[in-house]
Amino acid sequence: MTNIAVSSVITGREDRDAGTEKDVHIGTRGLDLYYGEAHVLKSVSFDMYRSSVTAFIGPSGCGKSSFIRCVNRMNDFIAGARVTGELLVDGDDIYAPGTDVIALRRRVGMVFQKPNPFPMSIYDNIAYGPRLFGVTDKDQLDDIVRRSLEWAALWEEVQDKLGSSGTGLSGGQQQRLCIARAIATEPEILLMDEPTSALDPLSTARIEELIRDLKKDFTVVIVTHNMQQAARISDYTAFFLMGELIEYGKTSKIFTAPDEARTGDYITGRFG
Amino acid sequence: MTSYSDNERKKLKKNSSELPSGSVSGKPGRRVTSALGVWDARIVTLISAVCILVMAFILYFLISESLPVLKATSLQDLLFGMDWYPQEEPPALGMAPLIVGTFIVSLLSCVLGIPASLAIALFIAEIAPRRVRNFLKPVLELLGFLPSIVFGFLGMTLIAPWLQQEFGVLTGLNVLTASFLLGVMMIPTVGSLADEALCAVPDELRAASYALGATRWETLSRVVLPAAAPGILSASLLGIMRSAGETMVVLMAAGGAAIIPRSLMGPVRPLTSAIAAEMGETPVGSEHYHALFFAGFVLLILTLIVNLAAERIERSRRFR
Ligand SMILES: Nc1ncnc2c1ncn2[C@@H]1O[C@H](COP(=O)(O)OP(=O)(O)OP(=O)(O)O)[C@@H](O)[C@H]1O
Ligand SMILES: [Mg+2]
Repeated sequence: MTNIAVSSVITGREDRDAGTEKDVHIGTRGLDLYYGEAHVLKSVSFDMYRSSVTAFIGPSGCGKSSFIRCVNRMNDFIAGARVTGELLVDGDDIYAPGTDVIALRRRVGMVFQKPNPFPMSIYDNIAYGPRLFGVTDKDQLDDIVRRSLEWAALWEEVQDKLGSSGTGLSGGQQQRLCIARAIATEPEILLMDEPTSALDPLSTARIEELIRDLKKDFTVVIVTHNMQQAARISDYTAFFLMGELIEYGKTSKIFTAPDEARTGDYITGRFG
Repeated sequence: MTSYSDNERKKLKKNSSELPSGSVSGKPGRRVTSALGVWDARIVTLISAVCILVMAFILYFLISESLPVLKATSLQDLLFGMDWYPQEEPPALGMAPLIVGTFIVSLLSCVLGIPASLAIALFIAEIAPRRVRNFLKPVLELLGFLPSIVFGFLGMTLIAPWLQQEFGVLTGLNVLTASFLLGVMMIPTVGSLADEALCAVPDELRAASYALGATRWETLSRVVLPAAAPGILSASLLGIMRSAGETMVVLMAAGGAAIIPRSLMGPVRPLTSAIAAEMGETPVGSEHYHALFFAGFVLLILTLIVNLAAERIERSRRFR
């Protein structure tokens, strides 16, 4: 069932119009998130568009990570986490009872803030997802590994040592390995939580380039504390404050003429 | 476990920064020694030196007390001789049945005990809800404090008669009974060490696996278990060595016959039980006396081999 979903995504890709506002990929309707008593997301409602890059900005602790963990239901693992409201992916409420969470996570890839490669070879790291999907053919796996690493701009550096451990790479290489691992299964949506926060400018530039490339095929949601980065790579920007979505719109507008004074203040560094 | 208030922590920091610049290195590990002070460091060195000295002395004693046996019996006869009749004149000191006894009992106990320990560790670490875990873990550790004589006693009074009655075997004190008891005995140690190895696997790895659409079982078998494998291996190793070195249970429940058993229902006399049973009854300095020291030496070599083999496996795994 999952395989069918994935291949239909792949075939559906060509006739997609990049960034059309009509094509809503992820939508929320009055989404609330609680961790026990703490009310972390407060009635968040907005739409993210297919084949676009949406940046989440906001001060520390405002709920950006918590929000993206809602999209692939990784909050399920946090004791006491509770979600109300609707979160729609391709029009389906993923919190509706009976949702196949495993299938959802196969459609929604995630790159964590801290690189977390598996303690296995570089090859096995990338092949992990495809193998879960049931790909066993050696040639096909070789192909996927190579393409994913090329995509993540890591192939050149590791092509001679695919058998060595992924944990032996540098921090920046590990992060690109994790990106390659996430895109190896060709998810429709890629969630990235501050993917460049621990990287040097060169690695950061490569990953930004990668994200611009990726949006042809993926819908990208990226959390960042770097305003220039948000301005450089995103089509849309969402500004969060204390669990509320303060403003959301085209990045060009948010960064030049925001409707809310607080948005402008945050972007120009007057608070936060 | 110790929690410092912010103030105390600041004080600690201040103290360490007041030390002469030479003793403060960038490594956090070094800072502890310098905080201990030069004198404490010397005391630690002294204590470890004494420990090493004592170990060396034990080894020397063991070797020097076992070598004289080679004057009367050849090494080959000692290791491969089939007859162990130490009381006869001249004594027959073939240890093959004892060595085989140790081998078979420790191997079978691991075959029984390690899978059970791992299953329990998996349940406690990965499957049980937190409340059940908080209850089971201390219980498991508590079981580890049961003296081995209790297990021997259970074997003699419960298992052996039951085996004799139900299966009509010659003696209920045999390889199977002893191995079963040893297997049960290793569960607390091996189980809680394996549990710790599983818990030491960072949650980020589990999260990475789940985020790729893995099920719980896939995450467990493909990520968590391989990552915990070194710890699980060393836990199992400890189990093997404990079984090989355990004395009381085999003395009470293995049957004590110095023969190579024909079946798992046959009695055996592992090295440890031979030493324990016979040492008190043999004249100091006799051939038998030296042979028993030699048995101890063989036991030491066996555990050393297990250790080295495990290190090998571990190293080849790491550099694969
Ligand atoms: N596992 C958790 N259990 C309980 N509360 C949590 C948990 N994770 C986060 N929180 C709380 O939820 C709120 C939002 O946290 P979140 O990590 O989403 O912030 P963030 O916007 O990603 O911040 P940062 O920019 O620092 O990463 C915070 O108040 C935090 O304390
Ligand atoms: Mg965060």
